[in-house]
Amino acid sequence: MERVVTVVPEDGLHARPAAKFVETAGEYEARVTVEPVDESRPAVAADSMLAVTGLGIKGGNSVKLVADGDDAEAVLDALEAVLTETVDESQ
Amino acid sequence: MAKQLTGVGATPRSGVGTVIWYERESTVSADTAQEPSDDPAVEFERFETARNTAIEEVETERDRTRERVGDEEANVFEAHKQFLKDPQIESAVKTAVESGVVAENAVREAFAGPIKQFSAMDGMMAERADDLRDVRDRLIRILRGAERTDLSALPDGSVVFADLLTPSDTAQLSPESIAGVATVKGGRTSHAAIIARSLGIPAVVGVGDDLRTVTEGETVVVDGNGGTIIVGPDREAIKQYEAETTAAVTNSSVTTANSVPIEVAGNLGTPAEAPPAVKAGADGVGLFRTEFLFLDRDAPPTEDEQFEAYYEVCSQFADRCANNDGHVIIRTADIGGDKPIPYLSLDPEENGFLGARGIRLSLEEHTDLFETQLRALLRVAATDVGDSIAVMFPLVSTVEELAAAIDRVERVQTALDAEGVTARVPELGVMIETPGSVFLANAFAKRVDFLSIGTNDLVQYVLAAQRDLDRMDSYQDPLAPAVLRAIDHTTTAAENNDAWVGMCGEMAGDPTLTELLIGLGLSELSMSAVTIPEVKQAVKDTDTAAARELAETVLACETHTEVRAALEIEK
Repeated sequence: MERVVTVVPEDGLHARPAAKFVETAGEYEARVTVEPVDESRPAVAADSMLAVTGLGIKGGNSVKLVADGDDAEAVLDALEAVLTETVDESQ
Repeated sequence: MAKQLTGVGATPRSGVGTVIWYERESTVSADTAQEPSDDPAVEFERFETARNTAIEEVETERDRTRERVGDEEANVFEAHKQFLKDPQIESAVKTAVESGVVAENAVREAFAGPIKQFSAMDGMMAERADDLRDVRDRLIRILRGAERTDLSALPDGSVVFADLLTPSDTAQLSPESIAGVATVKGGRTSHAAIIARSLGIPAVVGVGDDLRTVTEGETVVVDGNGGTIIVGPDREAIKQYEAETTAAVTNSSVTTANSVPIEVAGNLGTPAEAPPAVKAGADGVGLFRTEFLFLDRDAPPTEDEQFEAYYEVCSQFADRCANNDGHVIIRTADIGGDKPIPYLSLDPEENGFLGARGIRLSLEEHTDLFETQLRALLRVAATDVGDSIAVMFPLVSTVEELAAAIDRVERVQTALDAEGVTARVPELGVMIETPGSVFLANAFAKRVDFLSIGTNDLVQYVLAAQRDLDRMDSYQDPLAPAVLRAIDHTTTAAENNDAWVGMCGEMAGDPTLTELLIGLGLSELSMSAVTIPEVKQAVKDTDTAAARELAETVLACETHTEVRAALEIEK
């Protein structure tokens, strides 16, 4: 199962969103990989903070998530929520 | 002429003190001399144990930073936690220990590649290399069983010099004892700078390699306004900077520009926090949390033990309060929920933020604890230092609860009288922190001497957004129109019933909001010691008529954006 998501937070998949993304990916059984859509780079494990931050995904970039396992759909939903969460503008 | 070094001022304050060079853990040389290991399984287990300890440490520092600085900085520790749990690191460590090296070196090897990779990237990504070094050094220190350099226990008047301070380092700094901070690297927006600023520690960052020419033990001025370090200042320069620093502290009580007195008080978590608050110019204590007496122990505190603690705090403030009609407000135990107590065996689910905590526990399951605490408080109130004492109840949301609490106080007084023990019923008040207490503020104000608005919980309950949930971060804003209206409703109720009203909670300590709060009708503001001097200054600069006008404008706002625009706060 796969899904393409456009990253909303301005800073991209970095620091806090990245930590949340990785943590979420680790909470499910399904194995998930993530890869940038706009440039050809190999897919990396979504539960690795090193790998995920290493992609250098910025806000507005699209990523392809591929999940394999019983709860694949659930994990994709959860990860999409993390990637599209808007950062509070009042801060 | 004294030597002067230039950097970037990170906190607009100055301090004079003695240099202590803080060597970060990473500067310790590699373990090349260590014996090779012959048991990979043991080494890997050592790594796993160290990693668990590291995760616990990181979580503690995250919570501490969240409390003292804010969520944004606390999130750095979230990233550190995920790096610690990274499967790539784990498998690299495994490969390394299997090749026969000890866990310390395996960790070093496992991090070497990623650090190099991130360092080569630009901007924000390069900062991740610093995070990785911080995480690596933490693991190595734990593996070695080395004590971490205790930055929280440096002698008073220390100026910490370092190459670079990590978030973990800076989170340990105690603003009471540290006279200043200076670093070779880092900018105004580095984590260390942000944390130092929110702790009010004078700081100059990014001084460059020249900083290394200053040796430990030298006297320096850290001028966070000018962004300079003066090495070996002459007596006159020291005097000038000391005068600047002490001028910021106002020990006398303050009034607004048009002579309306406002009490600026300190929030205390333990009696040990009283002297720093006095030093910062606190007129009294707006919130003395008594939970410390009940936590981390196997049995509840005795009446005498509590008497000692309350007496000590009151005596620290006796002179201050006598001179300026200040108060020492002691809150009865607000336990339950997120503050577990071993000897009470509370069910965390039933005692969460919406459960049996605060006054509810005091009136139901644990009347014994409540009575003991009241006995101690009423006895202290009758002592030579007890004139200023006031007692308030947490998490009250019905008139019945308040009436029961007051009744309990009266019965305790009767019992003490019957025993021939000297005691007195002090001023009584209620924390306003639930929507119920806001709506009933009129009824409450009729029955007590004062109300105190606890903004942190008020925000959580008014907006139904749990304080400790990351996803609810954006709701934790006391400038939410609903919260501002709740505050206004409370102050109006107090005024109509001749009760006075104060505020304890983060909002009270923000000098940029002082005018608004005075305009909303608060006559007492209580905060952590570090912000007292600035808030006192803000009080002196306020005119109550203009403040009232500002409050009315803000209360008319229906959205956050309008509120912020009215207050001219940038996003």
